[in-house]
Amino acid sequence: MLNNQEPVISVKNLTQRYGKGRIIYQDLSFDVPKGRILGLLGKNGTGKTTTINILMGYLKPQAGECRIFGESITEMRPETRARIALLIEGHVQYAFMTIEQIERFYSHFYPKWNKDAYYELMHKLHVSPNQHISTMSCGQRSQVALGLILAQNADLLVLDDFSLGLDPGYRRLFVEYLQEYAKAEDKTVFMTSHIIQDLERLIDDCIIMDYGRILTQTSVRDLMRDFARYTFTFDGDNLPDLSENESGIINPSLIKNEVELYTFKSREYVDKVLAENGIKATNLERRDMSLEDAFIGLTGKY
Amino acid sequence: MYRALLYKEWLKTRRVFYAAIIISVIMAVYAILNMNSVIETFGVGSLWLNMIQKDVSMVSILTYLPLITGLAMGIAQMTPEMSHKRLKLTLHLPYPTNKLVLLMLATGLLQLLVIFAVQLLIIVIYDAQIIPAHLVSRVVLTTLPWYVAGFCAYMFAAAVCLEGTWFMRIIISLLGCGVLLILFKRDDAMAAYNSMLILFPVLFIIPTILSLGSIYRFKEGLQD
Repeated sequence: MLNNQEPVISVKNLTQRYGKGRIIYQDLSFDVPKGRILGLLGKNGTGKTTTINILMGYLKPQAGECRIFGESITEMRPETRARIALLIEGHVQYAFMTIEQIERFYSHFYPKWNKDAYYELMHKLHVSPNQHISTMSCGQRSQVALGLILAQNADLLVLDDFSLGLDPGYRRLFVEYLQEYAKAEDKTVFMTSHIIQDLERLIDDCIIMDYGRILTQTSVRDLMRDFARYTFTFDGDNLPDLSENESGIINPSLIKNEVELYTFKSREYVDKVLAENGIKATNLERRDMSLEDAFIGLTGKY
Repeated sequence: MYRALLYKEWLKTRRVFYAAIIISVIMAVYAILNMNSVIETFGVGSLWLNMIQKDVSMVSILTYLPLITGLAMGIAQMTPEMSHKRLKLTLHLPYPTNKLVLLMLATGLLQLLVIFAVQLLIIVIYDAQIIPAHLVSRVVLTTLPWYVAGFCAYMFAAAVCLEGTWFMRIIISLLGCGVLLILFKRDDAMAAYNSMLILFPVLFIIPTILSLGSIYRFKEGLQD
């Protein structure tokens, strides 16, 4: 059983490869505490969906241990699975069912089923209860999937790339509903998305992954406070590689004569590194940044 | 919960079920009309003689119908689970995995049983009015291996559809084809029955194990 201090999701030293080849990640460890919304962010192919597949028991990790609600995912009881709502990438649902049939089907499995939450969202879609899910647009299917998640009233929500295929309106609708629901009901959410701007207002914590490693694992508030983007005008021809020798300068880039760099270090430290490299920086400034900027800053543009 | 699962399986298979019932009835009636035509042309005595001396069952038109029905049922039931990896939804349901898979297979088998029983009943009721009981049982004995082949085709089709890797799909398909060939190759009913007894584990138990194995391989991440 899970006590109050134990995390809802606990991942320890997870290692996974593509077959016997490239490492997706090695010794990945993280916890998701109760009531937090954690976003797993990374470029395509960094292992976001792989992590969700492992957590949900659809992929056996090569090493490491995952526990949800204190139970090993390899031996998860049906009762524990009933406490987890899962959104599969692409809002996949039983397409052969109608809006009404799918609600009736799922209602038998979940003791805290809230039919009204589902139909409240369905009424906004202006679709008939007899409409088949197979005839719906991706946006409409996303709302069906969201409605089912809300109705399940689970303690943990696992959402794999909820923004895939959605236009801005549906993305906004999804985020707003989810945000209100998760905060009001003290739900724990573990989610991935490739559209970072959607997550900025939604997530409390983030893990930013690169190929084979975790770049940072922190709260969004701390990331936005501690991680900075600086720009300055550079007069020379060749910019020295400022990111060498663990200098703390991340992804410096030169476009025309404007330099952009990212760092967790202080302004004084940046001044010092620039001086050590003989760089005369004009108009050095810390710029405002969105979560997406921070993501690009950490992972690079390419 | 099991009722909800039965409901889901029914939603996937009901079109095939209705179509199979209609086609089975039409084919059974067609076989009956053929027998009627022989009786009207040559007399009922000629029909009896043909059945006894030439071992003609008069229902050979139905030979491959159960096989096709079984294949259609398996594909209709399991393909929606595998397209877009929808099986993840099913496996996430708070229900024990083995029970879930066995319930799915039982639903398909039960529907086939109804379809085959309706067809056989039509034949038996008609035959009982025109031929003696021992000839009726001979007709039934002739048709039973076809129905067993129908169940068997369903089980193997389900196992193939649930499998996530092409290599294992090919292996299961070849195994299924081999079993069905053995069933249909036999010329006389008794040989077919002996085959069925020997093949019984292969006909039902092995495809069931293969289906469960496919699910466990899916959960291990073995998918192409």
